[in-house]
Amino acid sequence: MIRVENLTVKYQDVIVLNNVNLEIQEHSWTSIVGPNGAGKTTLLKTMLGMTSYSGSVTFEGREVYKDLSRNVAFVPQRPLIPIGMTVIEYLTLGRAKVDGWGRELRRGRLFIQETLEIMQLVGLQDRFATQLSGGEIQRVLLARAIVQEPKVILLDEPTSALDLHYQIRTLDQIELLKQQGVTVISTMHDITLSNMYSEKIAVMKDGRVLLDGNSDEVVSSAQLREAFDNSISVYTLESGKKIVVASREESGRRDSNPRP
Amino acid sequence: MKDQISQVLIAVVVFAAVVFAGVNFFQSTSTESAPQPAAVEEVEEVVETPAPSLFPVTLASAGFETTIEEEPISMISLSPSATEIIFAIDAGSQVIAVDFLSNYPETAPMSELNSFDPNVEAILAFNPDLVVLNLNSMKANEVREALDKLGIPVLMEQAPNDIEGLYDQIRILGQATGRTENAEQLINDMETKRQEILASVQDVAPVKIFHELDNTLYSVTSSTFIGSVYKDFGLENIADAAEGADQSGYPQISAEFLVAENPQIIFLADAQYGESVETVSERPGWPELDAVVNSKVIELPADISSRWGPRIIDFYQIVADSLR
Amino acid sequence: MILKSQKTEFKPIWNVRITLISVLVLVLVVIAAISTGPVSLSTGEIFRTLFGLDGGLEGREKTLLLEIRLPRVVLGALVGAALATSGAVYQTVFRNPLADPYLLGTAAGAGLGATIAITTTNNSFSAALPIFAFIGGASAVAATFLVSGRYFSNPGVLLLSGIAVGAFASAVQIYLQQRNTEVLRPVYSWILGQLTVSDWNNVSWAALYIFFSLLILFRISKLLDGLMLSDEEAFSLGVSPNKIRIIAVVAATLATATAVSVSGLIGFVGIIVPHIIKGITRRVTNRALPTIAITGAAFLVLADLGARSLIAPAELPIGVITAFIGAPFFLFVLRTTKGGLK
Repeated sequence: MIRVENLTVKYQDVIVLNNVNLEIQEHSWTSIVGPNGAGKTTLLKTMLGMTSYSGSVTFEGREVYKDLSRNVAFVPQRPLIPIGMTVIEYLTLGRAKVDGWGRELRRGRLFIQETLEIMQLVGLQDRFATQLSGGEIQRVLLARAIVQEPKVILLDEPTSALDLHYQIRTLDQIELLKQQGVTVISTMHDITLSNMYSEKIAVMKDGRVLLDGNSDEVVSSAQLREAFDNSISVYTLESGKKIVVASREESGRRDSNPRP
Repeated sequence: MKDQISQVLIAVVVFAAVVFAGVNFFQSTSTESAPQPAAVEEVEEVVETPAPSLFPVTLASAGFETTIEEEPISMISLSPSATEIIFAIDAGSQVIAVDFLSNYPETAPMSELNSFDPNVEAILAFNPDLVVLNLNSMKANEVREALDKLGIPVLMEQAPNDIEGLYDQIRILGQATGRTENAEQLINDMETKRQEILASVQDVAPVKIFHELDNTLYSVTSSTFIGSVYKDFGLENIADAAEGADQSGYPQISAEFLVAENPQIIFLADAQYGESVETVSERPGWPELDAVVNSKVIELPADISSRWGPRIIDFYQIVADSLR
Repeated sequence: MILKSQKTEFKPIWNVRITLISVLVLVLVVIAAISTGPVSLSTGEIFRTLFGLDGGLEGREKTLLLEIRLPRVVLGALVGAALATSGAVYQTVFRNPLADPYLLGTAAGAGLGATIAITTTNNSFSAALPIFAFIGGASAVAATFLVSGRYFSNPGVLLLSGIAVGAFASAVQIYLQQRNTEVLRPVYSWILGQLTVSDWNNVSWAALYIFFSLLILFRISKLLDGLMLSDEEAFSLGVSPNKIRIIAVVAATLATATAVSVSGLIGFVGIIVPHIIKGITRRVTNRALPTIAITGAAFLVLADLGARSLIAPAELPIGVITAFIGAPFFLFVLRTTKGGLK
């Protein structure tokens, strides 16, 4: 449903995205991986319709810059919750897409309440952003996106500030969203987790997409190693699950079973 | 807790406002205006009826026309200079209030009215039948228009450029108060005295002078009223060289310029603000000035050189004395 | 998502009650203001005069009430509403709890614009004055923004830029005043900030510009909340942030410029009033704008009442009173928002 064709994005004469082609299916989870500076966040923002580009980015056939009416939620990596705004006020803003700006409908309030429960934020409603921990803020950001009842959700490093427990919980929650029909596109540093949750992975480096396709295959691919300058190692567990870790060896390593 | 505090605050404000409004509402109604402020003295003398031909009169002053229907008996003067003139032409009994800077003569009914920043309502509270207003007051135009709407005639005036201009103002105030003969008499007296003073120093060579307005060396040029007095004596005012700096005639000169010009006589108009022969002698470069060496630094009495009224003749005398 | 519970545990974000209370406060303050002055008029007579009933004031007193006191109070309300609302809008747009047209140099720029207008048209008050003031104010805002660079959301940087821009504008203005003393005599008076001797002429065109700007701001008030989020989030919620930012800043600057051109530099209103409302309601939503406007009106009328009552019959410049309240307030906000740093 989202089609990116020959997308090039320039920022002050620097090419940030270079002839990118990508297709995202509905109700799927696509992870975009790659080193810093690869252009992952820019790709997300372009899909949102924020940047000017050459080429074509369509959402169900319509170019994204022309049409802001589609319901696409964006969860930023760094929080920008306004000073003096409480969590509940912030979440209520998320309802603006569905309920309208400044309108507080009962259904909206119920929805927010449920989201608070699911994201384990109950009791924090009246706190200010400055009073929350990094992990709590990240969950609040996701909650705001959920509350929007979006069709597509774009997440920029959704788990970077969370501890392992919350990482899994949050990703489980996003998977639940996917099962309910939301299309998920995320950028994540943790490739192992990306592989665990997303069906498709796109590998980016220097503004290009080196490879995209089925997660398992991409994880074992040469392009992935190339993207990270061969400083990663991929292990396959007995269960078939793949783990990607950083390694210090120069030459690429083939898949091998870890020593017990 | 916070909700309670804010609710209490709101309640307090509302309560206070209600009380205030209620107190006003139930005040005894009176169609007369406010009682006059305490500083105003009672008018005791009976005013004589003027000769019918003097009023109504239309006067042109400071670019404005003012029509006065009858001889005023409750004037307000918001100009210390005008106050001095009014009392000098014996119209003081027609004045009910003067501004807070009108300290001469001492019998003038000083009030708290502000001549710089006139408050229309405060003026109205006195119920005047004529207001003398200085054009340099803040919002002078607007004040005039407001008083106009209230039916109070306003006589505008501004600093004259020379002694002839001053005599014109005296005449106008004479016409405004119905004291035309006194005005002419005053002018004659002043002019006679002035000629006497000028004649007494005719054989003195022209000297350089400096008129100091404040200790940051603001001065006056010959195009101002005070400057014109020095010009009358044929003195050379060093501030004239700085004329272009400020079109209003009150330039600020630099200490270097002052030292270079080296005036023979220095007049301290800021003596009433603390400057004196001693203080100026301590300024860098000053001890070598001719005026300081020859003890020709003159401390001027308060207000003599900043007002345009009958006491300007005293100023003439002081200048004449300094030349001897 | 399937909703499980049917009971909501929290109250609405914004309550209309506070708006109604602010209206009530405004009405009471206005009544107090038009009943007070060196000439005492009873409230009963005032009412009867205002509503055209018998037994009202006559002659001079009537003129005093209708042509002198009432326009002054109305102007105070308009200016207060304009400054308070503009302050709140600037705080949202610049993401900075201490942003305010006065502090950002907008007011000084507007003053300079007005000075230039008076110098070139040789006319102290005209309907075109707010336009010049607006151009001056808008340039100052743009300059402050440019000088701050990408650190505009840092209150320290923004403030310093605003002070620099404001100081520059003031310097140019003083220079112009020096060179044109005759024409600019009227300018000296309003620079200090005062509502004295306002007549209906000034009030009517000020009202025109201010109502126009405030209506625009009220209209987009709900969308302004989107500006408080990151740009990406605003986009995802359907708001184009830059478009709204420009409309908001233009409208707020016009309101401020009009206020400055008619009443001079009255500072701190844009900081005091929004934070009072935000403190009482514990909400930063821009749905508060109408309430902030009404409270701003009440605040300035009350301050003006103080200005002319505290040392009666002399008057304090109203800027002194707002600064007296505003400066400690400013420090208070600085402390409680930790300077805006996260």
